[in-house]
Amino acid sequence: MSAVRFAGIGKSFGAFTALHPTDLDVADGEFLTLLGPSGSGKTTLLNICAGYLPPSRGRLLVGERDVTATPARRRNMGMVFQSYALFPHMDVHENVAYGLRVRRVPASEIARRVAEALRVVRLEGFARRAIRALSGGQQQRVALARALVIEPDVLLMDEPLGALDRQLRKEVQLEIRRMHLARPRTTLYVTHDQEEALVMSDRVAVMRAGSVVQVGTGRALYDRPADAFVARFLGESNLVAGTVAATDGTTATLTVPGLPHAIAGSAASGLAAGARAVALIRPETVRPEAGGLPARIVERVHLGEIVALRLVLGNGLELWCRRLAGTDPAGEGIEIGWDPASVSILPDAA
Amino acid sequence: MAGRVALAAFAALLAAFLVLPVLAVVPAAFSARSFIRLPPEAWSVRWWGTFFGDPSWRRALLKSVEVAVLATLVAVPLGTAAALGLARLRGIVRRLALALFVGPVVVPVIVLAVALYAVARSAGLVGTTAALVLGHAMLALPYVALNVGVSLAALDPALGRAAAGLGASSWRLFRTVTLPLILPGVVGGAVFAFVTSFDEVVLSVFLAGPSAKTLPVRIWEEIRVEYTPVVAVAATFMMALAILAAASFRLLRRRRA
Repeated sequence: MSAVRFAGIGKSFGAFTALHPTDLDVADGEFLTLLGPSGSGKTTLLNICAGYLPPSRGRLLVGERDVTATPARRRNMGMVFQSYALFPHMDVHENVAYGLRVRRVPASEIARRVAEALRVVRLEGFARRAIRALSGGQQQRVALARALVIEPDVLLMDEPLGALDRQLRKEVQLEIRRMHLARPRTTLYVTHDQEEALVMSDRVAVMRAGSVVQVGTGRALYDRPADAFVARFLGESNLVAGTVAATDGTTATLTVPGLPHAIAGSAASGLAAGARAVALIRPETVRPEAGGLPARIVERVHLGEIVALRLVLGNGLELWCRRLAGTDPAGEGIEIGWDPASVSILPDAA
Repeated sequence: MAGRVALAAFAALLAAFLVLPVLAVVPAAFSARSFIRLPPEAWSVRWWGTFFGDPSWRRALLKSVEVAVLATLVAVPLGTAAALGLARLRGIVRRLALALFVGPVVVPVIVLAVALYAVARSAGLVGTTAALVLGHAMLALPYVALNVGVSLAALDPALGRAAAGLGASSWRLFRTVTLPLILPGVVGGAVFAFVTSFDEVVLSVFLAGPSAKTLPVRIWEEIRVEYTPVVAVAATFMMALAILAAASFRLLRRRRA
């Protein structure tokens, strides 16, 4: 068992709180991504897990074992760094073998396991290459092999794809996802890239200003974000500000100045009638609807298979609408609507 | 264009000012006469024979090499350890510690010499190799610490974390990752340490006594008695050694890069 439990883990540097007391559970074999802007505390949380940073409070459990005071070198975790941190004076084989040599694994087994690890990351035949002779993507895979070959209880990755170009990043994302599905291993992954989080993770923990704001599957975060911050961070969003007219706990209606009808949607927790709130209407749910709200198309942006339309409603309100290319309405005037079931009424996070 | 020519001329003049007086010792070493005059009236290598034939010059040369090697062996591990420690410090503590380590370079050597002489005398160490080695090591240590410090600063701190995360103890981390990567700085520091000790004269005059004369001390004594070209030979020989040391270090560095 190598589930990870953060129990009230927090970190302060003097008067500055990098991480508020945080509870977070990662199930055995789960791929959990810490997603947030820089300074949100995600790397702090990762470094505390790895043992590179002692927490100011709280306890860290791996399985049933309390490792809060265990030094990094006794935690048996595999770490992949943003800078890769490969040993530049060793070749690929020696880099990958490092953790095994430390563990005094017999030479014949080292040879076998290093070869296997290099096969998994598709670097057979690169064993004797110098690190500086490798491309960024290859270095990243060596770093991954080095972390995996020690059979870590937990795999930690700190923005490992940050230095790769977009095309390669997409390939490696899918590759890591496939590797994880083939051999599930408790994984904590740090990124500020929402797409990366959605592609690879079983669950995503969205962080902001030293706190975990919401934890859930990518789908759940996208469809039912806890607040406007999460909504803005994952995917494209129309956020319409207004006042809560009524709520029964599961649904709510929002009055928006200048709109003839209140906007209805699912209610996030923490809403009260009369409070300021926002309605989240995803651009892909906005559709032409005869007899709907009259709007004017003021901008068309072609994004390949998608066309994004900027709409201005009668009261000056702007909405983005996304349609598959070829299905976007012609002309300037349009009447629009959306499916109330896909709308969420959220507390307005500043 | 005219500006460039003027600049080049000025640079050449400056270089001549710096180098020519030092180089003047070379022709002086090949004089046939028994006094130093520039340029020499007649050429000969007779003073080289005198230098290598005289047991007291040979003893001084060997003593210099012995002291320089031992001082380097003392200064390199200590200076490397100091650099590793300094790299872990932050803020005011770091600045204070750094000032302390760089102290021997800043404090006038004559002050150090008087102080060390007093200490060595009460410890009965004047005239011993040990006193020279320790004194020179103290002078050389800052060069090692600074050289290694530069190498350390260029090291990705994530490397240490990576090794620790893979299970390495701090000793193993040092042996297998840190040391191999800062080796150029350590070697550079060692060259500096050797040269510093090899041509050190002020401390040595105080500490050498009659029994542990190094080459610079012997030159100093010789000049006070008689001013023959054998002094120029000794100086030329030292200069050649220093240039050799610096050049081989440069070559070594380029091979690694």
